[in-house]
Amino acid sequence: MADTTDSRLGLNRIGLYAALALLVAFYLSPLESAIMTAFKTQTGFFETSPFVPPTPSTFTFDAWGQAFDRLEQGLVNSLLFTIPATVLSATLGSLVAYGLTNTKWRGQAFVLVLLVAGIFIPYQSVLVPLSRFWSIVDVASLFAWFEPVADRSGLVALAVTHTAYGIPITTLLFRAHYQSLDDSMLEAARLDGASIAKIYARIILPLSIPMFAVALIYQFTNIWNDLLFALVLVQNPANDVVTMSLTSLQGSMVGQYNLQMAGAFITALPTLLVYIFFGEQFAEGVAGGGA
Amino acid sequence: MAELTLDHITKTFDDGGDEIVAVDDVSIDIADGEFLVLVGPSGCGKSTTLRTIAGLESITDGEIRLGGDVINDKRPQDRNTAMVFQSYALYPHMTVRGNMAFGLEESTQLSDDEIDDRVTEAAEMMGIADLLDRKPGELSGGQQQRVALGRAIVRNPEAFLMDEPLANLDAKLRAQMRTELQRIQEDLGVTTIYVTHDQTEAMTMGDRIAILDDGELQQVGTPLECYHEPANLFVAGFIGEPSMNTFEARVDGATLVTDDFEYDLSQRHRDAIGAREDVVFGIRPEDVEVGADTADGHTYAVTVDVVEPKGDENYVHMTFDDDHETPDTFTATIGGLRQVDAGDSVVVRFPPEAIHVFDAGSGEAVLNRSLDTAEGVDLVL
Repeated sequence: MADTTDSRLGLNRIGLYAALALLVAFYLSPLESAIMTAFKTQTGFFETSPFVPPTPSTFTFDAWGQAFDRLEQGLVNSLLFTIPATVLSATLGSLVAYGLTNTKWRGQAFVLVLLVAGIFIPYQSVLVPLSRFWSIVDVASLFAWFEPVADRSGLVALAVTHTAYGIPITTLLFRAHYQSLDDSMLEAARLDGASIAKIYARIILPLSIPMFAVALIYQFTNIWNDLLFALVLVQNPANDVVTMSLTSLQGSMVGQYNLQMAGAFITALPTLLVYIFFGEQFAEGVAGGGA
Repeated sequence: MAELTLDHITKTFDDGGDEIVAVDDVSIDIADGEFLVLVGPSGCGKSTTLRTIAGLESITDGEIRLGGDVINDKRPQDRNTAMVFQSYALYPHMTVRGNMAFGLEESTQLSDDEIDDRVTEAAEMMGIADLLDRKPGELSGGQQQRVALGRAIVRNPEAFLMDEPLANLDAKLRAQMRTELQRIQEDLGVTTIYVTHDQTEAMTMGDRIAILDDGELQQVGTPLECYHEPANLFVAGFIGEPSMNTFEARVDGATLVTDDFEYDLSQRHRDAIGAREDVVFGIRPEDVEVGADTADGHTYAVTVDVVEPKGDENYVHMTFDDDHETPDTFTATIGGLRQVDAGDSVVVRFPPEAIHVFDAGSGEAVLNRSLDTAEGVDLVL
């Protein structure tokens, strides 16, 4: 009896693993094809199936080198606005959430409603007002006295726009966390003589680190991957961000797929690094283990 | 160290247009170094009262004075009180040392060395000196409780405010901490207000008890006063475990008539009752004499309904109407070695010197047990 159940279990297991392996192959095949393509020469791509590994004669790093050369400026530009926008939107979101949960003032509910509404405004609907706004607030002439900023007016506009757009969602993230904090702990801090600012700095902030990881990863990925705002707000080609540079890899006559694939991987790399870097705290923050 | 005065304090909350009175005109004088227990059922306003003293809630009316200074309008951190919370409210990301030093760092100009000295001293007093570098998450509930107390002690406040600090501990540890807390309070001599819903804590810990119900102060007195001379029916029912037995009664000349029995009144009883007609008759379970052999106007034949053995004593629930499916019962406590079984018929006596009588309308006590017959035992050698 025991033997038959064992072997049946074994068969079940084998079936399960086979199904899982098929699913894995199914989901990973586009990725695998992309990697293989990125390492092939143009002829290699035309002559072999996309998922077949390159032969020694069709293997090359050229696509990677070329893609990196053409994306380099875009990567720098993207980092220049994504990092400030990510850090600012997380920090401001945390402060707003603190103000909305752990202090009492009139009109709190109204502000919260505005913020929640802010989450649901689609990017497309604000494109026109946004470009009008940034043509009225002319960063280039405002900072005419300081060339490094004036030259990158499009990036400044992107940083500010993404910060503003990110505050509602980061606020809600932090708010949920702050509501779960023990009220009497904050009262104890008040009785201990700490001011509102001190309570934030010495108690709330240290307890928010996992939530910051969540907000930073989420915001970084979102902002880094955005193309729409960049297309509208960046006029100077020198300020092209990486997503814009990536679209320009498409070529006009012949599709250089190996170049595009290598470019896509290079573009995605920073978000991957952010996940790896904050992954542990991210898991902790998502699991709600704030303390 | 200072005396604390609550002078007609009232606290109302606005609940969407409705006014909810949480604390209703409460006045208590707490002497310097006194341990006052604020007790009452949940929602009676005891925690709100404590929070108004701490400054976490404002008061609607009245005055709070600490050491003669009016502190109503002072910010919580300027009131020089320290509070211990039921949830301990420790800062989870700081070490025990950090938790205890936080208040001193934020509210005093002491140097780091002085702060460290005071933290170490308080930690030794609480027996947590070896835990100073651990975080609260690594400590047991009892240890966390000690840290919370240590954090209050280290501030050297004029008054301790404690909000059910032992409620989250298991029974054994609670009993132990009860004694320890009393010892520490006595050593430090700091005026203390202790909020609890647990009447055992109220009876055993306080110099005096203040009993609150529905935001109103019912009685302030020593534990024994509140036990033997309750001001009203609420206090009589709340203090004491098991509760006092009560029977609604009508006064008929020299007799009290209840649905179950008639009780002969003495001259002392009649003087106290006066012209009242509707009263409530009360007697504590331990005053009920079970198995009385004399028959007078205070003895009755009853049936035992349920017996709850407690080891040292038995709670015996008895009834006059044993033909009911769910009869009205009253309780007597008898020695743990006395044998009584459910269904037994026994004779009980309500001794005339031990009975309480309350006004049926207002609930106020009109007659409390006489303490003349209570045995005085001199324990001091």
